[in-house]
Parts: sequence; C-alpha cells; structure tokens
Amino acid sequence: MNVVEAVDLRRTYKTTTGTIRRRSLEVEAVRGISFAIAEGELFGLLGPNGAGKTTTIKMLITLLIPTSGEARVLGHDVVEDARWVRERIGYVFGGDRGLYERLSAMDNLRYFAELYGVEPKGQRARIDELLELVGLKGREKERVEGYSRGMRQRLHIARGLLHDPPVVFLDEPTIGVDPVGARELRATIASLTASGKTVLLTTHYMFEADALCDRIAVIANGEIVAQGTPQELKAGVADGSVVEVEVFGVEERSVERLRQLAGVRAVTVEDQEQKQLLIVQTAPGLELTHAILSQLDGASVGRVSSREPTLEDAYVALVTAA
Amino acid sequence: MLRLLWVGWVMHMKMLTRSAFNFWLGIVYPLFFATAAFFMFQSGDDPKPLLYASLGAAVMGIWGATSTAAGAALARERWTGTLELLVTAPAHFALILLPVTIAMATIGIYSMISTLVWGRLVFGIELEVGDPLAFVLAVPATVVSIGALGFLLAVAFVRFRQAWALGNMLEYPVWLVSGFLVPLTLFPDWVRPISWALAPTWGISAIRGAALGGSPYGDIALALSLGAGYTLAGILLLERALRTARVKASLSLS
Amino acid sequence: MSNTAPESRVPRGVRGGAGAWLRRAGGAAGQGRVGVRVFFVGGLISYRALFGWLSPWVFIPSLLVAPVFQILLFVYIGRSAALESDEFYVIGNGLQYASIPCVFAMTNIIAGERFQQTLGSILITPAPRLPLFVGRALPVVLNGFFVAAFGLVVGGLIVGIDVPASAYGPLALVTAVSALSCTGLGLLSAGLGLIVRETAVLSNVIFGILLVCTGANVPLDALPGWLSTAAQGLPFTHGIEAARLLADGAAFGEVARLVGSEGLIGIVYATAGYLLIRVLELHSRKHATLERA
Repeated sequence: MNVVEAVDLRRTYKTTTGTIRRRSLEVEAVRGISFAIAEGELFGLLGPNGAGKTTTIKMLITLLIPTSGEARVLGHDVVEDARWVRERIGYVFGGDRGLYERLSAMDNLRYFAELYGVEPKGQRARIDELLELVGLKGREKERVEGYSRGMRQRLHIARGLLHDPPVVFLDEPTIGVDPVGARELRATIASLTASGKTVLLTTHYMFEADALCDRIAVIANGEIVAQGTPQELKAGVADGSVVEVEVFGVEERSVERLRQLAGVRAVTVEDQEQKQLLIVQTAPGLELTHAILSQLDGASVGRVSSREPTLEDAYVALVTAA
Repeated sequence: MLRLLWVGWVMHMKMLTRSAFNFWLGIVYPLFFATAAFFMFQSGDDPKPLLYASLGAAVMGIWGATSTAAGAALARERWTGTLELLVTAPAHFALILLPVTIAMATIGIYSMISTLVWGRLVFGIELEVGDPLAFVLAVPATVVSIGALGFLLAVAFVRFRQAWALGNMLEYPVWLVSGFLVPLTLFPDWVRPISWALAPTWGISAIRGAALGGSPYGDIALALSLGAGYTLAGILLLERALRTARVKASLSLS
Repeated sequence: MSNTAPESRVPRGVRGGAGAWLRRAGGAAGQGRVGVRVFFVGGLISYRALFGWLSPWVFIPSLLVAPVFQILLFVYIGRSAALESDEFYVIGNGLQYASIPCVFAMTNIIAGERFQQTLGSILITPAPRLPLFVGRALPVVLNGFFVAAFGLVVGGLIVGIDVPASAYGPLALVTAVSALSCTGLGLLSAGLGLIVRETAVLSNVIFGILLVCTGANVPLDALPGWLSTAAQGLPFTHGIEAARLLADGAAFGEVARLVGSEGLIGIVYATAGYLLIRVLELHSRKHATLERA
C-alpha cells in the first residue's frame, strides 16, 4: 500500500502588489505534482529554493488545502480527514525558528505531547527516550533561546516524533547545521526508516539525498522533472561526461556561446575567490575540451579536468532544463 | 560633534516617523489620557482647570514617548544586534544615544499639537498664547530637557534587558509629580524636592507661563540647566555602564 | 557516499508500528480527557511560553507599580478639581488596569505564535481547538484578577479608603468576573492580532478606550450619550459600577444583575474571538494567510 500519495496536486497563491494601486497576482507554486511513497520508504523531494517543496509538504501535512488535485496519507484524504491524518504524521521544520524560545526543551516537548494526546503516564519516559535519541539529554532543562542551531534542529526532530507517527515529513532538516551535526542528523533520519517509518525528506543537498533516499523526485518550478532512485537519476547523465575548467574572469558572452555548442547539455559557473569554475556537461562519445577552450576568448585558463557525472550534475541538468 | 548630534537626530526622526507603531501610538495613546482628563475637568464647574490641564495633557505625550520608547529602542538595537556595533563605533556612545532620545522627545511634539487640536475641536478649549516668543522658546527647551532625562534613563537601561518595562513604569509618576495635570501644592511636602529635580516640572511651568501669563524665562533656564546636568551625569554613568557591560557580556542576547 | 547510519541498529526512541504511544482511549470520554489536559496543562505551558512579562523585571514595574501610579494620577486629578471621591478612582482604575494583563497577555499568547513561527506546528496537531485556544485564557484571567486585586488593595491603603469587611468577598468576585470579561475581549483582540501586524498598537488602543469609556474615571453621565450607550457593551462598565456600590455598603443581591451582565459581555466577546480564530484557521488552510507574515 502507498503510505503517501499525491495526485496532480496544484496550489496557487494570490498575492497583492503595490500599496496605492493594488494588483492581485496569481502565483502557481505547485503545478500538478504526482508521486507515491511506499511503506518504509525514504523519499526525497529535491529542488532549488522556491521550487515548491515546502508548499507540497504543507499540503500533505494538512496545513494548506490544495487548489486542485488530491493527497492521501495512509489512505485518508488530507483535506477531508485532516484530524485523522494529523494524529499519524510528524512534521519537522528546517531552520532555527518555530520553537518556544522562553521554554526549556523539556517544556517544549511536554506541550506538544499534550497537544498530540500522548498518554500522561508514559509522557516522561517517552520524552526521555527522545532526548536520548537526538542527543539533548542533560541539556533539556535549559531555555531554547540559548540553543545552537544544531540543537534546535534536533529538538524539532524529537518534537516531530513525540506521538510515534508512522509517517514523518522532514523539511530541510539539516539546513544551516554544521557538518558534524548534519552527519549525526542524517544518521537519525536513516534510523527512522530502519524502524519501519515512512519518511518524506526535502533538501537541496545532493549528497544528502544520495546518501539517504531510496527514491528521489526532482522538483523545479512547481513540477516534478524527474523521479527515480538516485542510481536511475545518475544514469540519465551517466553516459556523458563532465569537463571542469578553471578560468580567471570569464565573460557571460562566452558562457552563452558554450551553451550553444553542439553536444553541450548544461553549463554552470561557480565563483571561487578570484577565479571561476566552469562545469560543462557533455553528451557521450564527444571530446569537446578543445572546442570549449576555444570559446573562452583567450581568458586566462587554469586547471582543466574531465570526470564522471555525479547526482549533482544530474540535478543541475534537470533543473536548468526545466 | 554637533554635526554628529544633528545627523543622528535627523536619522532617528526619519526612522521614528516611518514606523507606524511609534507614530500612531505616539499620537493616539496620549489622546486617550487627555480625553479622560478633559471629560473630568469639563464636568467640574471651574473652566480654569480645563485650560490648565490642556497644556499639561499636551506635554504628557512628550514624556510618554520618551520614557516608553527609550527602553524599547535600545531593546530593539540589542535584538537586531546593532547595539554592539554602536558601542564599538569610534564616536562616543553618548553622542549616538543622545540624539535617539531627543528625537523621541521631538516625536512628542506631534502629540502635543494633536492634543491641543483635539482639545480645541472636541472640547472647545480655546487657548490663546500670551507670549508667543516665550512659547516658541519654552517648547524646544522642554523637548530637549525631557530628551536629556530620557538619555539618563536610557543609560541606566543599557544594563537591563527588560528596560522597556522600567520605562513604562516611569510614565505615570513623572506625569503626576511634574504637575502636568494637577498643581504641585496638592502633594505632600516630601514630594516637592522630587518635582523640583525633574526638568519636565520646569518645562511645563515655562509653557504655561508663556501661554497663560507669567514669567517663563527663569523656568526655561532651569529646565535647560537640569537637562545639561542629566546629560553630564548620563555620560559619566555611561562610561561605567559600558565597562560593566563588556565585563559581563550583557550587551548582546546571544 | 554511503549511508551514515548502520541499518541494523534501531535506536531507542524510534519505534516501529503506527502510533504505539498515541492515546488509544477512543470515544467521547477519551477525547474529553485529552481536551481537559490541553485546556489546563497546555494552557499553562503556553502561557509561560508566550507571555514575556512573567520575569519580575517586567511584572513588578508593569503590573504592580504602574497601576498604583495610575490610581494616584486620577485620584489627584479628582482632588484638584473637586470631582468624585478617592474611592471612585481607586476602584475604577484598579479594575480597569486589569486590561493590561488581560488584553496584552491574551493577544500575545495567541498572536505571538505567529512571531515565534510556531503557529504551523500548533495547527497541524490533532488537538481539539476549543481547549487549545480557550485554555490559554485561564491563566490570563487569574493574572488579571491578581493585578486588579493588588492595585485595589495597595491603592486603597495608600489613599486611605474604608470598605466594610463584609464587602471583601463580593468585591473579590466582581474583580474576578471583570478580569474574565476583559479576557473575553482579549480573545477577540487575539483573533484580530492574527490579522494585523501591530498587535501592540491594537492592545494599547483597547486599553485607551477602556480608560475613557467604562466609567473608570469619567462618570458615564459625563460622557456624550452615544458613548455611554456604547460603554454598556464594554467589559468593566458593569463591574466597576457593581464594585462601587459594594464598597458603599450595598448587598451582593443588589448588584447581582450588574455582575451577571459583566460576565455575559465577556462570554460574548470570548465566543466572537474564538469563532474569529477558527475562521482564520480555516481561511489560512485555503489561502495560506496565517504563516510567515
């Protein structure tokens, strides 16, 4: 059975602009998204900022009603059976807001335990267990306002698991967390599916999705542009290769010409201190290094290398094509 | 130095007048007190207290804006993290702080005008300024001296996180003992010295003197010299407060 | 990159199965128990979480010292123009100052969820909404009662007011009902606070209206007719009148109607406030209006 199902979900926002002459503007945040997550699966929703990831999650967790389309959790409609669904899902925010700053971690958890109807007798033990799980044991009496970002994020996770929900939604849970902390968080996330929970994770870190997810949907401009296992997505670009060129002061004109070059699939420019890194994805069986260099108008060129494509390249190709 | 004070004042005036909160609350809030006072004095038989109160109620807003906002503004700077930037700026912190509180007192002039207009339109209180020149001198003198008092408080506030609450607390007592609405002679004797030490007492006395007849110039001089005294005391206190704050790390929230 | 977690080990805290910890108590009784806990326990925790005035540095100056000076200010105005008795102003301002804790706290405790960005987390819980929102009012009423009682007692002692001992009990009841009534208005203000950004302006304006119109300082017959009519629909108007009568020696039976009106007004406001919050919640699900201002 599919635990989470989205069928042609759409969501438009009305925004108004201008103070004197107010104009109403319709923004399509999500335009017809469909996917299904099987029990025990860790499903990744991958996409750039503003692609519609958070809007999609908000529809699934009953916070927003879809403009059209349907969404079901454990077979129940998220609009019709909102309360039934709410009892069975956990939601973990990304970022360091969304906690009661003046309360201790303990009180934050106690409050939500009440709201989720966790049996009073088992509450203490349950909270202890979760504090242990997320590594906040010993700090639970301190006020949240003194917590680091990583600690806040871990508290968010504990809160999302209080009522032991079978389905967990994680919205960019590692954003802004230091590398060691993020690694620990990923271990915790992986352990969720190991215990049979179904997880939907949004992220824009490629390696995170690669490491954690059983399947990934790449979302751009409110639409799913590709869906599959990390391997399948990589396979989409695996037949080609990637040429990386270090340049000092490349012009936008040259990059544009590179994009027009036959056999070039995508070009991205990464700024690195005083130089730029050009990442050129090419079709298979072509040796384009020379042609690429000749388009650079004599800009000073540093190291040139060629490598196998990664999931990140697959993602860049998908998102830039959208 | 004067330039820094001027630029700071202009900048804070801009910031304060652009914030709907400060602007509307600064005007509307004192109007409620003025309205209550006008209704009360109106129901009495004597018309003189109403005239007396209308000027007092008008000046109440200057102190109200200063006392409540002085704490709140620093709390905001602390919240946004700019307090640390200001303290570490090369200019003396006093030169940065003083224009803030004077700008707040200046905002009170809006409420002064609106209160007088409100009194005229709704309650028909006709005020004729007897000595316009003295009035034009008395109002800014009052504003500057109240701003200086606000500065002295703000210095005390730098060390307290919940300074805004202390500022709020001081709103009523100064309204009361400065004689904004009631004559000082009604108070017990031990209150007198406190009234005399408060510049608003002399400010409102000068404004009343200018408008209703009297000798305002001595009061103006007293208000201004008290203001200078507050500023001096504030600067000395500030030196100590900043040192303590650096030792105790109480400037920032994090 | 490989999975960083050893798949074989399931840490404590992560359990299998669906909602092993979820309360199994089904039916109306089980729901009722959840509701009662959300009302009392949840209400108290969220009060501590969202009302920032509980620190003594705020509580004492704002809620204990300021009301006494408000009382003194108006007592002296009254004396200077030979208006009403000292008792008139002590009772009027003592009770009316409860609007500061009642309106500000109630507004902060609900509209504050928006600034803390916790509203989304609250709204996706299955918690029953009536105890979730209205449970937050109980600590507010208690606090309002305490603040008003403190102002009345201390203000009365400083000014020197004589109230018959037999009136203490009924006065306490009137104070409690007035605090409840104003908290009802606070709930409506909280609903409005979810729409407007400047909740502090809103609360201050409500305070000002109550200061002028409830008879706290200006006798109702000194107000323009339309204003004193409108005052009949405000919290405190009936409570203040009842308290003054009690202090002058009236029996409780004589003011029972006033006390009943005072309570009823509060319940009407509270109902309107609760309905507004519910409407906004439903509206927000459709139009994404409540989160992230």
